[in-house]
Amino acid sequence: MDLAFTPEEQTFRDEIRAWVHANLPADIAHKVHNALRLSRDDMQRWAKILGAKGWLGHGWPKEFGGPGWNAVQKHLFEEECALAGAPRVVPFGPVMVAPVIMAFGTPEQQQRFLPGIASGEVWWSQGYSEPGAGSDLASVKCKAERHGDQFIVNGQKTWTTLGQYGEWIFCLVRTSTEGKPQTGISFLLIDMKSPGVTVRPIKLLDGEAEVNEVWFDNVAVPAENLIGEENKGWTYAKHLLSHERTNIADVNRSKRELERLKRIAQAEGVYDDLRFRDEIARLEVDVVALEMLVLRVLSAEKSGKNSLDIAGLLKIKGSEIQQRYSELMMQAAGPFSLPFIEEAMEAGWQGNFPGGMVADAPLASSYFNLRKTTIYGGSNEVQRNIVAQFVLG
Amino acid sequence: MDFDFTDDQESLRDATRKWVEKGYGFERRTGIVKAGGFSRDAYGELVGLGLTGLYIAEDDGGLGMGPVEGMVVMEELGRGMVLEPFAQTLVASGLLSGYAPDALRSAWLPKIASGESLVVLAYQERAARYDFEKCEAKAMEAHGGYALTATKSIVAAGDQADAFIVPALANGQMALFLVERTAAGVATSGYVTQDGARAAEVTFDQAPACLLTLDGLSALAHGIDIGIAAVCAEAVGVMDRTLAVTVEYMNTRKQFGVVISSFQALRHRVADMKMQLELARSMSYYASLKLNAPAEERRRALARAKYQLGVSMRFVGQQAVQLHGGIGVTDEYIVSHYFKKLTQLEMTFGDTLHHLGEVSSRMQDTAGVFA
Repeated sequence: MDLAFTPEEQTFRDEIRAWVHANLPADIAHKVHNALRLSRDDMQRWAKILGAKGWLGHGWPKEFGGPGWNAVQKHLFEEECALAGAPRVVPFGPVMVAPVIMAFGTPEQQQRFLPGIASGEVWWSQGYSEPGAGSDLASVKCKAERHGDQFIVNGQKTWTTLGQYGEWIFCLVRTSTEGKPQTGISFLLIDMKSPGVTVRPIKLLDGEAEVNEVWFDNVAVPAENLIGEENKGWTYAKHLLSHERTNIADVNRSKRELERLKRIAQAEGVYDDLRFRDEIARLEVDVVALEMLVLRVLSAEKSGKNSLDIAGLLKIKGSEIQQRYSELMMQAAGPFSLPFIEEAMEAGWQGNFPGGMVADAPLASSYFNLRKTTIYGGSNEVQRNIVAQFVLG
Repeated sequence: MDFDFTDDQESLRDATRKWVEKGYGFERRTGIVKAGGFSRDAYGELVGLGLTGLYIAEDDGGLGMGPVEGMVVMEELGRGMVLEPFAQTLVASGLLSGYAPDALRSAWLPKIASGESLVVLAYQERAARYDFEKCEAKAMEAHGGYALTATKSIVAAGDQADAFIVPALANGQMALFLVERTAAGVATSGYVTQDGARAAEVTFDQAPACLLTLDGLSALAHGIDIGIAAVCAEAVGVMDRTLAVTVEYMNTRKQFGVVISSFQALRHRVADMKMQLELARSMSYYASLKLNAPAEERRRALARAKYQLGVSMRFVGQQAVQLHGGIGVTDEYIVSHYFKKLTQLEMTFGDTLHHLGEVSSRMQDTAGVFA
């Protein structure tokens, strides 16, 4: 039993760190470190830089052009990116749909779609949730009716993250109403420029339109955009869930944000308030404990052991930590987190923020926004159901 | 970065687990509690497994093993809520090995390994609570050695142990001493503690004492950290069994025509207990893996671990009782004993709030396991 990374792992980390520092644009890192707004261009710029290096699909198998990193190397890569202030990779293309295309798509589909995903050129969206299908995802109603060599799609998707930038969308659509809901779902790839596709932004409580509704009104989709077999879509979607188990903990970003919390608390003069400091101390231990859980899962992956009972805990604890640091940051700024001045959340704003500390500007919005973390990705209540299933049977 | 156990460590775990399962069941334990909370026979069985020599070098008659082995053994002993204070043996052998002059080491380590001597830490003073740096005990140079005067409380198996490691001020600075129980001026008053184990008040009235080290504060801090790591591991073992008996009960107990494990509110409670258990296990690993780190880093790590373990212990203990309904608060059924054991472990070597203060005061700008 050993906490330390091996010399080879350390060398790998050093190489990644050097590359990230040389290639991550400083203006993007500045925005990430200060929780300022990222534009579509910012996110795509980073995706293309990673893509050019072959690291956008860094989890892909070697046969599909992935670098062939093991679980620890992937973790270290993500950590170095997070610590340096790289934006989150928009996962829908490289992390979510690509593995499905690789596992269940035809060679033609792989040749057609994977290069655009790997390079960062093509922006993908996820078409899963519907107004009536949140936790109960299998109850999706968006219909795809087969007519000759086409599917005609009618329905609505919701909570489509960054859908306003999306060029392609992968959807769970209903192709049969017989039998259990799960057995009538297909996995369909849809060009968002198709006639009949309408994207409407949903404004969230932080004032931003991070998510969208996507309406499908008699949208014609070529049959060759179906992945695998009709009515097997639920199996393909579940395949995704067995991947990327430790990412969901977001511990690397949480370490960076905890350091930022300490700086904010110092700047606000509450770091020496023992009551406040003790709250940070509690979070400090939470972050160490979560990181230890992540390392245990990585170690199990390395030695080929099963750690599914622990992996289920990562999303619950990780999301609670994200909420807690954002809460404490807002509390540190206190009443000076209250002015809602949208321009102040853009990089380079030269105005006067009430109270004089422009770093206070995004704190309440971040706190409000991160309430989503215990809801999405399988709500924490559903996650607890899954954990309970492991323990109780 | 690897959390697998070696084959030797797994064998050690198996051997200890078998002894606990076959030889230290709840009935035997109950008998030992009734008889005063300590069985020299049971302690002798730990000797028979070689365990008392765990932290003692092979040259001194021990097994020459380290923190991970100690952790594995403590987890297994925790599962059986073994009353005999094995953690104290780890602390004493660690302190003697690390800080004592050669003469004292070669006199005592073989006797600890062979089971001939049970040596325990006697440090708790009334006014100090968990701040072990506060010490009123005094030792004066006398007759070529020292004469120690002190009152130490809640000493594990204090009226059964053969010798004590005692912090006392020598010329105003904390030093550590070794005092035999049979020495002149030593008096003990024994009792059972809430977890069923034996403890004692020990008074020293100019008792003859051997100097263990003048570097008393660093040594005591180190000894307590060894103790914290041991208690963390022990607690993981206790919590593992606590959750297991709770699961078994819930999958058996029927009300309203169904097993109570089918009620979602209770299922979520179990999920939260599992969360606390795994956070605790993770931090127990962290504590043991940091035991040989430089002092400041070690103190910080052990404080973090004890804080998490305290939170987990309290939650798991309380909820286990709750989920058992009425029988959870009876003496006859085992779960109240797990709860009392966890409650006592939380207050051993500093409780949760104390260690929160330690984490808080030792906080750095960086974050994470490697910070």
